[in-house]
Amino acid sequence: MAQESYSAGCYEAMISTQLLISGVIFGLSIGSIYFLLAIGLSLCFGLMRIISLDQLLYYSLGAYITYSINLASGSMWLGVLAGTAFAGLASFAVERLIFRRIYSREPTFSMITSFGILIGGIGIIKYFWGVVPRPVEVPTLLQVTIFGTEVPVYRLIVVAIAAVVYVGIWLFLHRTIVGKAIRAAIEDVEHVEGLGINVSRLFTITFIIAGALSGLAGGLHAPLIMVDPSMGLETLAFVFMVVIIGGLGSIKGTLISALIIGQVVSLGSIIYAPMAQMAPFVIMLLVLLIKPTGLYGSTVLKR
Amino acid sequence: MNALKWWWGILLAFALLGVSRTFLPLPFMNEVVIFSIYAMGCNFLIGRVGYISFGQPAYLAFGAYACAFYLFYFGTNPLVGIMVGVLGGLVVSLVIGPLFVRLRSDYFAMVNLALAVIVFYLTQKVLVDITKGDNGLWFMTRITSTPGLDLTIPGQFFIFALIVALAVCAFYKYLDDSIYGACCLATKINENKLQFLGYDNFSIRLLAFVIANTTTALAGAMYAVYLGFVSPEMASPSRAADPVIVTLLGGVGTLFGPIVGAIAYTGMKDVISKLIGNWELFIGFLLVFIMLVADQGIWGTLAPLLEKLLWRRKATLPVATKR
Repeated sequence: MAQESYSAGCYEAMISTQLLISGVIFGLSIGSIYFLLAIGLSLCFGLMRIISLDQLLYYSLGAYITYSINLASGSMWLGVLAGTAFAGLASFAVERLIFRRIYSREPTFSMITSFGILIGGIGIIKYFWGVVPRPVEVPTLLQVTIFGTEVPVYRLIVVAIAAVVYVGIWLFLHRTIVGKAIRAAIEDVEHVEGLGINVSRLFTITFIIAGALSGLAGGLHAPLIMVDPSMGLETLAFVFMVVIIGGLGSIKGTLISALIIGQVVSLGSIIYAPMAQMAPFVIMLLVLLIKPTGLYGSTVLKR
Repeated sequence: MNALKWWWGILLAFALLGVSRTFLPLPFMNEVVIFSIYAMGCNFLIGRVGYISFGQPAYLAFGAYACAFYLFYFGTNPLVGIMVGVLGGLVVSLVIGPLFVRLRSDYFAMVNLALAVIVFYLTQKVLVDITKGDNGLWFMTRITSTPGLDLTIPGQFFIFALIVALAVCAFYKYLDDSIYGACCLATKINENKLQFLGYDNFSIRLLAFVIANTTTALAGAMYAVYLGFVSPEMASPSRAADPVIVTLLGGVGTLFGPIVGAIAYTGMKDVISKLIGNWELFIGFLLVFIMLVADQGIWGTLAPLLEKLLWRRKATLPVATKR
């Protein structure tokens, strides 16, 4: 990630305001990716009370499908679409085959199981694509000028997509019947079940949404980094920190902490590169010291 | 006589381990013994206190690097190195323990995994000047031979490791039988009730955290002395599940689970990585399989059978396998 920010910053003049602006844009884009990933984890925990580490697998899968489709058809956006769809499909299969059986167990149980899925999935990825890191070309090399600083358009597009997803998720949860049922089920599953709503279908829908969003995050992240089998494990810690700082199960908290972590990683790497990896961890420890359930996490969990 | 009754299960298990040294390759046995110490700490956390930690590699690396720093920069005595490693683990877990133990168990698991990744970065990138990054610290030639048991010779190291493992295992057996062990179990099952009985959940958990992670650091220091080098690979997040898998494979909360699990895991790793190159694929699905089908583990399934067998054959025989 250090190289990434370096390449984002290196063609700027060495004027600090320009560096700052490009740093902020970089932070916004990286925060958007973290948000897309963390929202899946957060939703799954809020509704099903599972810690779904396999979201990181759908993230890698999304990136690899993007790479393959991009290579075959030359269109990166088509790749992202296919990656999102494939990640959704994969998550559907995993939910049906594995998670269905363990919803009633405690959260840490699902964490171990999903870690097994993640590791096994990385093995499958290595089998099909090999261990060599693959580059994905950026779809637009356009630059726009903001306050006298040239900013790559692609990063702005990533931020825009994340914003659209946030609004979409908000509308889905607040304006549609299914979304309202999901919100109600986050509060109290048994009551919702008592109202005659098919909770297990809600679980499936939520899991597919989470998986597809993770795939989208992977596809969008692919041109910014090298696609390699362990990319999920590398991103894991940051996504975790985003979810923990925001509080498990809270979408608003996830958004805010994703933005914070994005800025910390990007601005931190301008000041001193190795610090960028450490700083989020320190912030997480501080947040946990003050509020052990994260910024917006609920203290009491029913179920 | 009573003491013998209490001990004989452990002694038998370690005698078996010692005997199997004669027909199994030495590196395999060394790996098994160190790994079972590693898993014992994890087993105590999961089985007794109910904390699942994916951060064990972090504590392993703390112990290993503390030992390695001593052997690489300051001294040459491996015994002192191991002690420094244990001390390092103790200090680290005393510092971060109070922070982590306050958390709910799901947060605890996530924070620990994040810690493992951070330690990986720390050793690989941030502290490159003193850890030498991916190259690792090599100090094989710096270790001097010790009087009595010479730790530089793998054969004698095995005896040393076996004695250490025996001591650790006996210590955990003692803990399991003590009031403190009962308190740990109570804090896992019903913390409110324990509070009404007048015990402090926080201090019980903190002590358990410190004990378990100091054990892990001990395993790390043993690895460092045995291998003669340390590298960030030790804290690699892709190995984060290893101790958890071994614990589950052996049987959670059982005394001999970690040893049985370590033998099974190391054996499978040796055999399968020779057959197919893709070890991760196998271990991932093994983990899922254990979780879905056989969450008793090997020893957890085997122990009741053995017990039945022993009881039928000789009613007066004290049953060491009762847990």
